Amino acid sequence: MNGQARILVVDDEPQIARVLRTGLKTHGYDVRVAADGLSALETFADWQPDLVVTDLSMPNLDGLQLCKRLRAISQIPIIVLSVRGEERMKVEALDAGADDYVSKPFGMDELLARLRAQLRRVSATPKPRASSPILEVGDFHINFESRSVLVKGLEVHLTPKEYDLLIHFVQNAGKVLTHHTLLAAVWGGNYTEQGEYLRVFVGQLRKKIEPTPSTPRYLLTEPWVGYRFNPDS
Amino acid sequence: MRSFQKNWSGYVLAVAGVATVTATLKLLDAHINAATVALAFLLVVLFVATWRGARPAVVASVLGLLCFNFFFLPPFGTLTVEAADNWIALLVFLITAITVGQLSANAKRRTQEAEAGRREIERLYQELRDAFERASHAEALRQSEKLKSALLDAVTHDIRTPLTSIKASVSTLLQRPATTAMGDTVTIDAEARLDMLQVIDEECDRLDRFVEGLIELARIEAGEMHLRRRWGTIDEILTTAIARAEPMTRHHQVQIQLPSELPAVQVDPRAVSEVIFTLIDNAAKYSPIGSAIVVMATQADTDFLEVAVESAGDGIPVALRERVFDKFFRATRDGDSSNVRPPRGSGMGLAVAKGIVEAHGGQIWIEDGRDGRATRVAFTLPVGGPTVEPHTLESPEAVTL
Repeated sequence: MNGQARILVVDDEPQIARVLRTGLKTHGYDVRVAADGLSALETFADWQPDLVVTDLSMPNLDGLQLCKRLRAISQIPIIVLSVRGEERMKVEALDAGADDYVSKPFGMDELLARLRAQLRRVSATPKPRASSPILEVGDFHINFESRSVLVKGLEVHLTPKEYDLLIHFVQNAGKVLTHHTLLAAVWGGNYTEQGEYLRVFVGQLRKKIEPTPSTPRYLLTEPWVGYRFNPDS
Repeated sequence: MRSFQKNWSGYVLAVAGVATVTATLKLLDAHINAATVALAFLLVVLFVATWRGARPAVVASVLGLLCFNFFFLPPFGTLTVEAADNWIALLVFLITAITVGQLSANAKRRTQEAEAGRREIERLYQELRDAFERASHAEALRQSEKLKSALLDAVTHDIRTPLTSIKASVSTLLQRPATTAMGDTVTIDAEARLDMLQVIDEECDRLDRFVEGLIELARIEAGEMHLRRRWGTIDEILTTAIARAEPMTRHHQVQIQLPSELPAVQVDPRAVSEVIFTLIDNAAKYSPIGSAIVVMATQADTDFLEVAVESAGDGIPVALRERVFDKFFRATRDGDSSNVRPPRGSGMGLAVAKGIVEAHGGQIWIEDGRDGRATRVAFTLPVGGPTVEPHTLESPEAVTL
């Protein structure tokens, strides 16, 4: 990131927007605020931020629509702010392209940590398969040609589906992936309601890659939402 | 089986009735003539027909005929008849008895059918009423579930939103010395610190207002609102409310329209002022910046004053005009939520206003505004006492504050 990272905060609650502006500025970010989805899109076009933090329920264009519109034109990281109890909307937002979420009320530390994780993820995006057969992310070393996986230098043997699932996680490290997204990516669109497939395969994958599968460090569960892959133990 | 028993008892009754009448008439033999006998047997036929139906009545008629002939027509003790006129009497008796029997049995049957029909209708009506009761009970339950979830939504939004601002501010202020993403040391400057403290202060007030509204609403619902009525004029109350709403209406033009004479009212001025404040606050929230908000009072009729607040904007769809007085209902959120400004209120203001107005014996409603203004919220207050002195405002003059 060159100089200050630019954060676009989108929230129709003026007080929340005000606190986020002050708090994020204090932490060295360059911040702009939009009160609804439409003005957020305008600011996005004019200002080219590095990350968007958006509320979900807003007038004109809500957070969900904003995620979809932004995803259509950009790979910018999006963190959604949601009120606890809006689980369904949160999952929809993640399916619509958001990368992470923070539940209101949140502590500034938590938001900052998520911000840093997303900005890091962007600056260290794994290279696409075509350009190199080797992918190294955190403790993971993957060779696409031989389909071999090393965790901290030790080879693990995966079935084809476990391998596909792991690759999808690794390529989206740090990002919250909903059950729906994972099922669609690994099993295809007809299996998006088959949550039990996912639980079984995540369980098997954890047994193979986690030092202690009961307290996972790499494959983290996001309750009611999905999973997040953390490449560094 | 039952029908057989019933018929059988009818025949027994026919036989017993005829036997009893024959015996009785025989005992009074000296004092009777043929007409009395015929009428007595007809009476038996009538009773049997009424109680036991047509067939036992026929049996009673035939038995009556036989007994009439055997015991009471000469020559006695035989079934033969001497005189020609007695043949006629017997024939007339038989025809009359059978006709009476059939008619009364029919009448009885019809009555029974009518009775059964009535009972059936009553039963159906009862069933229908039970069904309606069950349905309205289910509807009431559904409504109360909806209300509960509206309460939950309101609490989620109206408590968590200020809490979010407070928590984010406090957690920023509490932060231990840290480094920024760029490696600089984080220091919260005085200005940022003040800003966050102000947010905390304001959001605490907002939470307090929300709790206050909840308490007010609970009081009204429990019927515990005690009005402190005293004599006053509506323009005093309007002025107080407008002054209180001044911070909310800085970006609007507030106008008052009052006729020169309005009767005094005996109301709780604080409560009525609260209603007017709520209406002005809503008008400011939902009308475009710079537009006019008109507060007016008129004498609606001899018994009521009408107070109204008119504002511009999109207006409230007719279908939602009653529901906006439901607690926690917000047209912009619960109605059509596309393309409108977000709600800033608690969804309790109009519910409280309605409670206050109704406690005074008035009514509150929403209608189209005048002069191109979209929304007019009006309420009535009962007039009490004589007309007060004309006040100083020239009328009907619009005063811009």
